[in-house]
Amino acid sequence: MAYMLAEGLTFRYEDSPIHRRDPRAKLLLSICLFIVALSSNSVIHILIVFALISIPAMIANILKRMAKTLIFSLTFSVFIFVVNFAVGYDVIYSLTLALRFIAIVAAASLFFLTTSPDELEYVMRWMKLPRDFVFAFVTAVRFVPVLLLDLLQILDAQKSRGLEVERGGPVKRIKNLIPILIPLIVNALIRSGELAEAMEARGYGAVKRPTSLYVLSFDKWDVILSSLSVIGSVIFIYLSFLL
Amino acid sequence: MIKFESVTFIRPNGVIALKDINLEIEKNELVTIVGANGAGKTTLLKHMNGLLKPTKGRVLIDGVDTRKTSVASLSKKIGLVFQNPDHQLFSESVEAEIVFGLKNFGFDEREIKRRTEKILEFFGLKELRDRAPLTLSGGEKKRLCIAAVLAWDPDVLVLDEPTVGQDLQNRLKLYEVINELRRRGKGVIIVSHDIEFLWPLQARTIVMADGKILKDGPAYEVFMDRGLLKAARIRQPQLAELSTKLSLNFPFKGVEDAVERLLRGS
Repeated sequence: MAYMLAEGLTFRYEDSPIHRRDPRAKLLLSICLFIVALSSNSVIHILIVFALISIPAMIANILKRMAKTLIFSLTFSVFIFVVNFAVGYDVIYSLTLALRFIAIVAAASLFFLTTSPDELEYVMRWMKLPRDFVFAFVTAVRFVPVLLLDLLQILDAQKSRGLEVERGGPVKRIKNLIPILIPLIVNALIRSGELAEAMEARGYGAVKRPTSLYVLSFDKWDVILSSLSVIGSVIFIYLSFLL
Repeated sequence: MIKFESVTFIRPNGVIALKDINLEIEKNELVTIVGANGAGKTTLLKHMNGLLKPTKGRVLIDGVDTRKTSVASLSKKIGLVFQNPDHQLFSESVEAEIVFGLKNFGFDEREIKRRTEKILEFFGLKELRDRAPLTLSGGEKKRLCIAAVLAWDPDVLVLDEPTVGQDLQNRLKLYEVINELRRRGKGVIIVSHDIEFLWPLQARTIVMADGKILKDGPAYEVFMDRGLLKAARIRQPQLAELSTKLSLNFPFKGVEDAVERLLRGS
């Protein structure tokens, strides 16, 4: 299970018309879909949003991996449904909220599955965010798959020492997490310490405004994609209020 | 006994990690497994205590199919020690780290005490018993990891890359542990890139490449077969290389053996 999660969250480079776009265009597309998903308030609207998201996802060949990520958000979505239904909203409304949550996750994952951490860094720098902040954020994103791999190895090691994670009552199960969480946190701390030293050894922070090997450039296709995103979402929102 | 019956393992991402592996290892055997990175060595080990289940074929431990039992019950017989101590040490003290496994396997209070004392003594960890495992040196951590597994007395000890980052003293200690286990009739399986460490053991050696077993034979045969080593991308141990260059029929098994035979002029 954890393996599948790692798979769904890890960026993998693929050569597709969507992957090749300027990260700013991809971000805009994702934000537009995000807003459209947020503003839709009926099951049919949300289904249309899903269709809209699946078009670029299909072109980028990430439908399968996106589906894997969404399977995990399904748990929360069920939770949203149950809570809303329990406090007295009707079935349709609760369903809309639950589906909307999945649509929002899908819109966001479109960006993260087609944009490498490097590209994300360029976008944040282009936004003139402080360098330390950008670095910390990008590193955190990069650490997620690394931590998941750590988690898998820790699980294997502790299971081999007789730990049965899914055994016992609720209190015992929480206690069972200790042998897993402690090495996980300790490893993350060790890693970040090593990373800090390695960065300093390579001159991080030596100059105020470091130059970049790659420069973002917005081409014809980026303009087309961005215009489509903005115009499309305006039309969608306008129509959804009208109908 | 550990038995692999035409085991194939395919990872969730479609990579074939093991291809039709057939293997039998007796419980009192010393076996070393060598091969380049990605040859499938660790994957093979993880099948021995059921952490991984074969996609095709089956793995039998004492006649029990690993698919039909728990990792915990298999681990009691097959003790696996992984490469990185930082992936397993979590307790507040060295002593508690050893007690963890014993408690998991349901030993009673008195037995836990007795075994903990014995194993701390054997691994020279007595003075460190109250120290936090994370503050130990790399060598001490490794020793503790092996001690924590040997505490419950598995029939077979499986070591994944035991010599990584270990100094001479710890390597010698490792030989000592292996020899002691052999004396007690226990099995030891070692996966390692450190061929200089493996050579003096003169063990049954399994060579793996691309998820397959290329060769399964005694060390003096395997490490003298230069064609095989080339195919598996493994270097020849220095004494084996020297023996090859001297065209010896029986390679030097250790420095002492070499000196003695050279002095005798045979």
